[in-house]
Amino acid sequence: MSTTSDYTRRGFLLGATALGTGGLLSACVGSGGGSGGETSGSGGGDASGDAAGPVTLQSSLSDPAPKAALELVIADYDGDVTLNTVAIEQFRAQLSTYLTSNTPPDVLTWYAGSVARDYAAEGLLLDVSDLWTGDGACAGFSEALKSLSTAEDGSQIFVPTNYYWWSIFYKKSAFAEWGVTIPETWDDFLALCETLKGLGVNPLANGIGSTPWMASGWFDYLNLRINGAAYHRELLAGEHAFTDPEVEAVLTEYAKLIPYFDPNMASYSHQEAVTPMIQNSAAMYLVGAFVTQFFPEDQQDDIDFFSVPPINPDVPSAEEAPTDGYFASANTANVEGTKALLSYLASAEAQQQFISESASSNLPTSPDVDSSGFSPLVQKGIELLENTEEITQFFNRDSSDALQSTADDALTRFLADPSDIPGILAGWQAAAERVWAQ
Amino acid sequence: MLRRVPWVVWLFLLVPLAAEVFWVFWPALNSFSLSFTRWNGIGAAEPVGFGNYVDLWNDPVFRTALRNNVIWVIGFGGLSVLGGLILAVLLNRPGRGIGIYRSAIYLPMVFSLAVTGLFWRVMYSPAGLVNTTLGALGLESWERQWLADPDVALYAVLIAAVWRQVGYIMVLYLAGLKGVDPALEEAAAMDGANRRQRFFSIVMPQLKGVNAVVFAVTVIDSLRTFDIVWAMTRGGPYNSTQLLSTYMFEQGFTLVNLGYGSAIAVVIFALAIVFIISYLVRSIRQED
Repeated sequence: MSTTSDYTRRGFLLGATALGTGGLLSACVGSGGGSGGETSGSGGGDASGDAAGPVTLQSSLSDPAPKAALELVIADYDGDVTLNTVAIEQFRAQLSTYLTSNTPPDVLTWYAGSVARDYAAEGLLLDVSDLWTGDGACAGFSEALKSLSTAEDGSQIFVPTNYYWWSIFYKKSAFAEWGVTIPETWDDFLALCETLKGLGVNPLANGIGSTPWMASGWFDYLNLRINGAAYHRELLAGEHAFTDPEVEAVLTEYAKLIPYFDPNMASYSHQEAVTPMIQNSAAMYLVGAFVTQFFPEDQQDDIDFFSVPPINPDVPSAEEAPTDGYFASANTANVEGTKALLSYLASAEAQQQFISESASSNLPTSPDVDSSGFSPLVQKGIELLENTEEITQFFNRDSSDALQSTADDALTRFLADPSDIPGILAGWQAAAERVWAQ
Repeated sequence: MLRRVPWVVWLFLLVPLAAEVFWVFWPALNSFSLSFTRWNGIGAAEPVGFGNYVDLWNDPVFRTALRNNVIWVIGFGGLSVLGGLILAVLLNRPGRGIGIYRSAIYLPMVFSLAVTGLFWRVMYSPAGLVNTTLGALGLESWERQWLADPDVALYAVLIAAVWRQVGYIMVLYLAGLKGVDPALEEAAAMDGANRRQRFFSIVMPQLKGVNAVVFAVTVIDSLRTFDIVWAMTRGGPYNSTQLLSTYMFEQGFTLVNLGYGSAIAVVIFALAIVFIISYLVRSIRQED
């Protein structure tokens, strides 16, 4: 009963009046992840306590390829699992309702990092520490992943299953045609931008129209390269102010890049921004590895990437690697079955199957996955993340969606008119303080 | 009078009433009480009194949204009513192909607002129809990134919304014009009234009933406008096209600040009620 249906209130009311019985109603709400705070919002109402009992998996993977991949992975599982797929916007809005209901979904897809930690601090997530020790499914995962999955009280509450990396993507054939090579230093990079601009190419692609969060990619990286990962995390946690001279230095550096961006970036989404790159009218794109799916089939082998060059030699190297996976509800009625499903999802076979079926450039978290069959690009991505000293997630995952919206406002404003950096930072700080006060 | 209604009818009326109270009024009242709390959907709501309303007043995005909503009510209401009325008067005559014109103008109303939004996004895109047309006319200096330029984005969305609404208003006025007695207009023409005088003194007063409907529809439609803005700009660039409804959605459902979102919803409700009640009171007085 995997449904993605989106109940409008009116449609819901009509249905409610027509059916008119409470039992049927709550069943509707459960399968649709529908509306209403009083309803249970769970399809797992009949979950019993025994280990063989049914388990509900609430999934936000509503894009066709990942959705089909997860369905295949679940189909191969021995236990009794009900998979509910909900559109991601709705999933985000309903997540707290799912977790607080009396009969919550047992396992849910979501992000590692501060979002998971916040729910854990509310006591809503199941402690899965035993999966991380002994012969548990996650015991072989890297230390970085373990600390990412650890709550404030030291227990593990998250099961990461795949992640991807951010870098500057480009096309090898285009660079050869323009006679340029990848830059080693930050000054090289700025010089490369200048050269490309002289050739009539837009050096930097971006799409901050309907996806304004893309403006945070460069902010994150410049902050990591200038002030370091530790400062970046503290800033996003509210321990520093956006009016600090450190942040001003980031925007001053960011302002140097503005002339090199595609002048249409404010009209594009992150996906539309790829089109000029396909046509060789834009050269480089700082973006997550998911970008590869937007390139046509015959250009897939042409895509390559390089890391943002270092700026301040005193800070440790760092990359952004958003991590996806699963957590479980603390109120689950079937702890045994839930942990069994989590272990299965974390297993090398399930990870490998999911990654190959979903046709993404995501990386497995399990070291036991045979990566020899992955493309050279993915191999290079694995190597990049293995050799970096610090790993961060992304602006919203290291802070919150609410803080992301303040960044979207401030950074898109800044990119449109960078003349008043202190004024923009003051406005950003004021908005951020309202978020932290919530 | 009332006693003559059989009790069975009351019973049948009670069923929809109960559904309405439980599913509409009860959640609406909940929204009022929620607006005095701070709640992220987890645990208990924390009462904050009028705190959310004070925060709203100090929130620059809310003030932008409020100002945009005023522009929207005036621009969207004014342009669609004016356009609809002019089209109705022009097309309220028998003639060859007049039906095709009417259907063509009404056609956009058939599409959902989300589809309209996507359609206009393509038109407004940097290499889209609007810019290429301007370029072909030699007006390159007028070319813009319509939805990415905060100075014009709101008006660009507004035009798309009016484009769709105008056919609807036209149909309402066409229906009204059918009820206008042509004998009165002929008599006035005999008495030497010109077209303008005939329209404003003879036709318009007879459209009073339609005007009331159009006014209510327009105000309600403009206050509840959400989908087209969401589909075209999501309130961006940097919140410059935010309306109260889109800001409420963002706060309430994207960021799950349920208390704050409810406070915005209460403001929208209050504005709608003030408009509608003041208009109803005035029209009732006029009828007395």
